[in-house]
Amino acid sequence: MIHEIIMPKLGETMEEGYLINWRKEEGEKVEKGEILFEVMSDKTNFEVESLYSGYMRKKLYQPSDKPIPVTTVIGYISDTLDEEIPEFSPKLPKAEEIKQIETEIEKKERKEEKDFTRIRITPIAKRIAIEKGIDVTKIKGTGPDGRIEKEDVLSYIGEKTEEKTKSEGEYIVKEWTPLRRIISERLTKSKSTIPHYYIEGKIVMDSIIKLKEEKKKQNFDFSYTDFIVYFCSRTIKEYPMMNSAIIEDQIRIYNTIDIGIAVSIEEGLVVPVIKSCEKKTLTEISEEIKKLVSKAKEGKLIKEEIEGGRFVISNLGMFKVEKFYPIINPPGVAIMGIGTILKEPFVLNDTIKICSTISISLSLDHRVIDGVYAGKFFQRIKELMEMPCLEE
Amino acid sequence: MREITYRQALNEALREELEKDERVFIMGEDVAIYGGAYGVTTDLWKKFGDERVKDTPISESAIVGIGLGAALTGMRPVVEIMYIDFIPLCLEQLNNQVAKIRYMFGGKCTVPLTIRTEGGAGRTLGAHHSQSLEAWLIHIPGIKVVMPSTPYDAKGLLKSSIREDNPVVFIEHKMLYNTKGKVPEEEYVLPIGVADVKREGKDVTIITYSRMVLFSLEAASFLEKEGISVEIIDLRTLLPLDIETIVKSVKKTNRVVIVEEDCKTGGVGAEVLSQIIENAFDYLDAPIKRVAGADVPMPKSPVLEKLAIPDVERICKGVKEVL
Repeated sequence: MIHEIIMPKLGETMEEGYLINWRKEEGEKVEKGEILFEVMSDKTNFEVESLYSGYMRKKLYQPSDKPIPVTTVIGYISDTLDEEIPEFSPKLPKAEEIKQIETEIEKKERKEEKDFTRIRITPIAKRIAIEKGIDVTKIKGTGPDGRIEKEDVLSYIGEKTEEKTKSEGEYIVKEWTPLRRIISERLTKSKSTIPHYYIEGKIVMDSIIKLKEEKKKQNFDFSYTDFIVYFCSRTIKEYPMMNSAIIEDQIRIYNTIDIGIAVSIEEGLVVPVIKSCEKKTLTEISEEIKKLVSKAKEGKLIKEEIEGGRFVISNLGMFKVEKFYPIINPPGVAIMGIGTILKEPFVLNDTIKICSTISISLSLDHRVIDGVYAGKFFQRIKELMEMPCLEE
Repeated sequence: MREITYRQALNEALREELEKDERVFIMGEDVAIYGGAYGVTTDLWKKFGDERVKDTPISESAIVGIGLGAALTGMRPVVEIMYIDFIPLCLEQLNNQVAKIRYMFGGKCTVPLTIRTEGGAGRTLGAHHSQSLEAWLIHIPGIKVVMPSTPYDAKGLLKSSIREDNPVVFIEHKMLYNTKGKVPEEEYVLPIGVADVKREGKDVTIITYSRMVLFSLEAASFLEKEGISVEIIDLRTLLPLDIETIVKSVKKTNRVVIVEEDCKTGGVGAEVLSQIIENAFDYLDAPIKRVAGADVPMPKSPVLEKLAIPDVERICKGVKEVL
């Protein structure tokens, strides 16, 4: 059997191609899938494989700088060597052949289009998915023709599942809650895309403890977190990069110092934000933290109260944790981990003294903050906290 | 609370308004001596006399035209068009004069005219006496269209319509006249343009009006047994449409079935549906379903007549289709 070798249409816009070279000689054996010849279209060279096994019998065209219209027969392959090859008849493809080929192409394009068909999703389901930042392509629709409905989105994020845990024998399966999904997505992204590094140091807390007690006598009950937020805000004023964020590939340094504090709630954690700390007194900061923490515990925080935090403070001191290294809360570039207050022997002015100290760690985004800058920041906050002075 | 019929409730509303305001008078075919084709004006002629309850010749155009003239000169006429099917006879007056005159005179006059009529199928009266033509009327800017389903709503809304300074077409339903409902002894009025949630539910909202409210309530109690919670909004006023109440419910249930007796094509439901799409698209979780009258002249055969308008079964089916 004789098979035609044609100039292939290798791209949507390709009308003609240049034969660059033949890889087989006349009379040579050819296996299906072997490279038969090379073609150049508008920009690129293509190696064209043989569609048939047999013998290369006739090259109707030789490599040249003359373009050959697509689908033109440029040679023949036959199953055996003794079959008769048609006369050399360079011809343009018949109109109906072109049509057929074009139909094939259209079909292929349609098929490709079909792969990107619209996702059937109801308006409310789409709205929830957008609000929760969910990729709808991962949701299986249970509505008519696989339409994604509200319930499908809710059960995907685990909101509608009434039984939160399912028993599977050896273990129980805990359904994702929406909050856990968000925590999971954000922190995985943070830890896997932000080049974290860490610094850590000790701060002697004796002066702060003394100040706290004095204030208590005046009926101001400040927590250590209040003091730390306060002194961080004052330090950040001098080190504004700590208050930056990476948004849309920009390093944005903000004018207001809005500090987030990590608060544990039943289902996970949230980070309410104390806005414009640089303008607030310790009392104001303290009151706001109390308000935000209690709202967080009651699940009543509104969107504005958890937005805009960049520098975040996380305190595990109350659980006797000495030090830890939190993951940066994007788009912020720094997070501070605070340990417990420990009484320990400390060398002060070459004498050993029992001091109350805490460990403070900083997790930093090296894309924005270098070690020296972070070190200076730490040094400054240490100074401020060891010799505290409050602005009123 | 006492229970009275829809007919009695309307009769009370008219009586109270005739007593209260001497500018109010009633006019229409057979409204005086006979007491109205469906008995709504029973005994009013006896009590208020010829001057205030007038029979007219059979000329709908004249009835509405005279009503308009009287309204312009300071009266508060309540005219009756015996069947909504006869509205086409007075459309020139209604559409071109009644609805336009206040606007065309720059607001210098008011048109406190109430046009009572009744429509709907159910009595096998055939194609000339069973239609639901309310959709035509909501296409006329300048009038209000009220269509109550219960005796309580009928009384409160008819009184408001009579006191309204703009023309109101008040559409009763022939199959509702004998239905009973709680109506307080003391006086009350209900605002025009405010829909009423007749039943609260969470899974799907049925938006309906007039007699179909009753069918929908019945369907809802069937569906409840199957664990489907249906909310029912009775529009009460078709023009202006209380889209706020509708949107609030759509936000809650995300699914809507519109039940209407009029023909589906170009019907009231089509307008309600459009406004939901315009105002609450993002809250829909399924396409909106219309359970509506068939696009046919109303058949005389009782069997076919039933098939031509929604019934409880088809409402239940419609609800399940959007779930």
